Order: sequence, then structure tokens, then C-alpha cells
Amino acid sequence: MATHDLWTPDRLPDPFAGVAKFLFDWIPLLVLVVGWEVASGRAVSESVLPPPTAVAAATVDLFATGEVIPHLAVSLLRVGVGLGLSIAVGVLLGIGMSQSDAVEDFFDVFLSLIYPLPKTALVPLALLWLGIGTKTAVLIVFLACLLPIVMNANNAAENVDQNLIRSARMMGTSDRRLFWKVVIPATIPEILTGIRQAIPFAFISLISAELIASEQGMGRLIRDAGSIGRYPAMFATIVIISAVAYTAVYGFEQIRERVLVWT
Amino acid sequence: MDGRIGISHLEKVYGEGSERTKAIDDLSFDIDGGEFTSVVGPSGCGKSTLLYIIAGFLDITNGTVSVDGTPIDGPGTDRGVVFQDYALFPWRTVKENVLYGLEEAGVPDEEADATAQRFIDMMDLSGFENKYPKELSGGMKQRVALARTLAYDPKILLMDEPFGALDQPLRETLQDQLIDIWGDLDKTVVFITHDVEEAVYLSERVMIMTRHPGTKKTVTEVDLDRSRPREDIVTSEEFTRKKNEVWRSLREETKSEVQP
Ligand SMILES: Nc1ncnc2c1ncn2[C@@H]1O[C@H](COP(=O)(O)OP(=O)(O)OP(=O)(O)O)[C@@H](O)[C@H]1O
Ligand SMILES: [Mg+2]
Repeated sequence: MATHDLWTPDRLPDPFAGVAKFLFDWIPLLVLVVGWEVASGRAVSESVLPPPTAVAAATVDLFATGEVIPHLAVSLLRVGVGLGLSIAVGVLLGIGMSQSDAVEDFFDVFLSLIYPLPKTALVPLALLWLGIGTKTAVLIVFLACLLPIVMNANNAAENVDQNLIRSARMMGTSDRRLFWKVVIPATIPEILTGIRQAIPFAFISLISAELIASEQGMGRLIRDAGSIGRYPAMFATIVIISAVAYTAVYGFEQIRERVLVWT
Repeated sequence: MDGRIGISHLEKVYGEGSERTKAIDDLSFDIDGGEFTSVVGPSGCGKSTLLYIIAGFLDITNGTVSVDGTPIDGPGTDRGVVFQDYALFPWRTVKENVLYGLEEAGVPDEEADATAQRFIDMMDLSGFENKYPKELSGGMKQRVALARTLAYDPKILLMDEPFGALDQPLRETLQDQLIDIWGDLDKTVVFITHDVEEAVYLSERVMIMTRHPGTKKTVTEVDLDRSRPREDIVTSEEFTRKKNEVWRSLREETKSEVQP
């Protein structure tokens, strides 16, 4: 009976359904690319909007000559460090604020202040303090990612089911161990949600910082290519960094699902 | 026998100023080690408050509450609590939940594993060791919660409407399982419920509380031969008489609530 199940009619179309869904998901992008190809050189000047074929060729070229590699490496390092710092600080701060009124009162002011501020508006200021380069970019990425992580962690830590804490204390868990045994695991789903929300912010703020305050990195490459009229290379760089950001989000979501089998 | 609970002139006040609510007013009551006591009373009369005070989750405003003669000072492994909402750790499997108290007590792995398995089997959870709580039904979750509490061997079981969220047949199964456990393991049980029949069926004594602010109203002793099957017990004259006695006493409290 069990092997028979494999051949029931509603079991077969599964792969086809998968393919169909894949096609439907990508049709809008396909339409865009084809429209772009047609428009380029006709509706808009080819020099302002190079066709996708030219962008694709430039992409291959950027990798083949190795030109993009150091820029990509620097950008990834900056995103990694900035995001990593914001996770470390954000989780500690978010949970710390839930555990102590003093901590909450102290940091609440700063968080309320930076909340409505577009983090990229701080690039010139950061540039002034930290100079051109990695430090400025990391600071901007860090600030842009901090809030979603703090807020999600804080919200979750404030709402840990009291009866879980009571149960743990009843079973002999000291207040100090409670943090690792209950508060952290109970907060992990929201921490991961916060990180997921922060990843796009990390890339947006990275490029903004590099456009202005860096001699290396993908943002700088976009600016350089644009300023000397290498428009296909400029578009190619945008495409590459977008693909990297997309992959980061998608990869992280896969990891999150693995980690959260219990939710 | 250990597991005695002494409650003397207990008073509990929540909040201050205009927020001030007296939840429990001058309640004195002693529970013997190994005794099964139920507490019934109108909603909001302070049953959960009383239980959480014995658990050590709440401060006492006045009076004393002691376990085996020692005043209560916070939660501790001599007592175990079973909540209506199970309070299982969702990130731990069934087995890992049952292991929790043993881990915290520093029991060696092999011994802890054997003990956990014993209570998993006792609660009919074999085969579900590696499931997460979200994969279980309410009745199974409550059995895991019971196994988790029994595994670290507290002398006193504190249960706050543990079967309140379950449907009738399931409640009955779990009630019978609880009676068996109580018979086998010599625990003091304090059992809070809204259900008069459940209170009389399970316990040796039923304390009825007055309406808010709650205190002890009456205590009904129930002396049933619990080795008989359920149908014999619930159809017995003694059972019906005790049920009516508790019901009438409780009814006076809920009725007077409505009158000015
Ligand atoms: N944390 C709290 N702060 C202030 N008042 C509270 C608090 N907890 C309970 N009370 C009040 O104390 C009284 C007793 O509450 P408690 O939860 O102990 O009643 P209960 O008998 O368990 O009710 P129920 O049968 O509905 O569960 C109620 O009037 C309630 O409003
Ligand atoms: Mg209650």
C-alpha cells in the first residue's frame, strides 16, 4: 500500500506544479528584462540604458578580469562586520532592556532618537569622524541594522511566557541561568525575524555609504563606472550586489527554518 | 510523612493605593503529607493566588505558609507546579522537557535518561519522545507536563486547573491516571478546579473558599474507596451526597455575589 501511494494521480503533478510556480514567479522579471532589451536604443538612448545583453556581458567581464572581486570582498566584509556587531549589541540591548528598568530608561532615549532618522543621512557625519573607508561603512550598516534587531529581541524578551519562567525556577533554575535556559531560546524566533528584516537594510546602507565615503567596495565601483561612462559595468555592479543581497536573504530564511523546527 | 503544608492567617494584598486589592483574607489551613486536597471557589476568589503563594512565586502580605515547618522562600524543587496551559518548553522535545528538572539537579546523564523514560512510559507517551510540544494534542501536552514535574520527584504537586482546557473523556482519563500516580508515588497534591465533581472524585478533602476576598469557608472530607472503577464511584450514594454538599456550599458564595 505504501509504495502504491507514490503512483496515485494527485502525487504525480507535484514536480510540474513546482515548475509552473517557478515560471510564474519569474515571469514578471522576464517581462521586465525583455521590455528593457526592446526599449534600450529605441525608446531610450543606449548609452543611458544599456541593454540587458550588454549588462550580462559586462557582468561576465567584471568577473573574468577579476575587477569586481576586491570590491565585492570588501563590501561583504563590511556587511558581515556591521551586521554581526548589530546582532551582538542588538540582542544584548533588547534583552537587557527587558530585564532591567534602568537599562531600558537609559537606552530608550537613544533608540527613540535614531528611530525616525534615515541612517544614510549620517554618512557625511560618520565620514567626518571616521574618515573614508571601512569604519564609516561599518558604522552606517551597524546603525541601520540595530533597530529591527533590538526591537524584535526586546519585544520577545518582554513577552516570554511567565509560566515557562515559573516552571524553570520551580525546577531549580537560578535567576542567572534562566537567561540561557529560557529567555534566550524563547526569544530566538523573534531574534531571527529581526535579523531577517535587517539584512536588506544592511545592503542598502552599505551602498549608500560606499557611494560617498569609500575608495573600494561595490558602491564605489558603481560610482566610478558611472562617472566615466561605463554604464554597462555600472548596471552590472548593481545586478551583482542585488543578487548577493537576494541570496543572503534567501539563504538566511533557509537557515531560520532549519533552526526553528519547533515553532 | 514529608510534604506537609501549613497555612496560618494568610493575607495577600495586590497593589497599592487605589490599585489595592485584597485577594486572600485570613486563611488558615493545614494539609498533611501525602494528602490529596482540592480547592474550589468562585472565580476571582484567590485560588490561583493561594497556589502561587505555596509555589513561592508571590510574596505574602501577612501570616505564614510553610512546608514541613519551614517558611516558604521562593520556588524550590520540593514542590512542582502543573499549569492549565501546560507551560512546556516549546524548543525542547518531549524527552528533553521531561529531562529538564533532572538536568538542573545535576543527575548523571544515564540515570536521568532512565528516570525520564520511566515517567514517559508511565504517562503513556512512549513513541513520542522526540516530538516537539506543537506536535501534541492538549491531553498529551498535559501528560508531558505531569511527567516533567514527577521526574524530579517533588514532594508536593501544585495543580492549577490542570484539566480545565480538556474535553470530558480526556479529563476523565487524566483524572484516573492522576489517582493512580498519587496512590503509587505518595505525593501531597493541591488541586485547583472549577469542577465540583472533579474535586470530589479526586480528593480526600475539598476546601471551599468564600468569594473575593477569599478565605476558607468549609472543608468537606471525602472518604471514597478509589480502588473501584469510575462508574461505581460516581454512581455511589456517598459520592452524590458529597458532591451536593460541596455544590451547595459553593452555590451560596456564587449566589451572594449577585445580590447587593
Ligand atoms: N497580579 C495581580 N495584580 C492585582 N490583582 C490581582 C493579580 N492577580 C490576581 N489579582 C486579583 O486577585 C483576586 C484573586 O485572583 P486569582 O487569580 O487568585 O483568582 P482565582 O480564584 O484563581 O480565579 P479564577 O477561578 O478565575 O482562576 C482577583 O480579584 C484578581 O483580580
Ligand atoms: Mg485561577
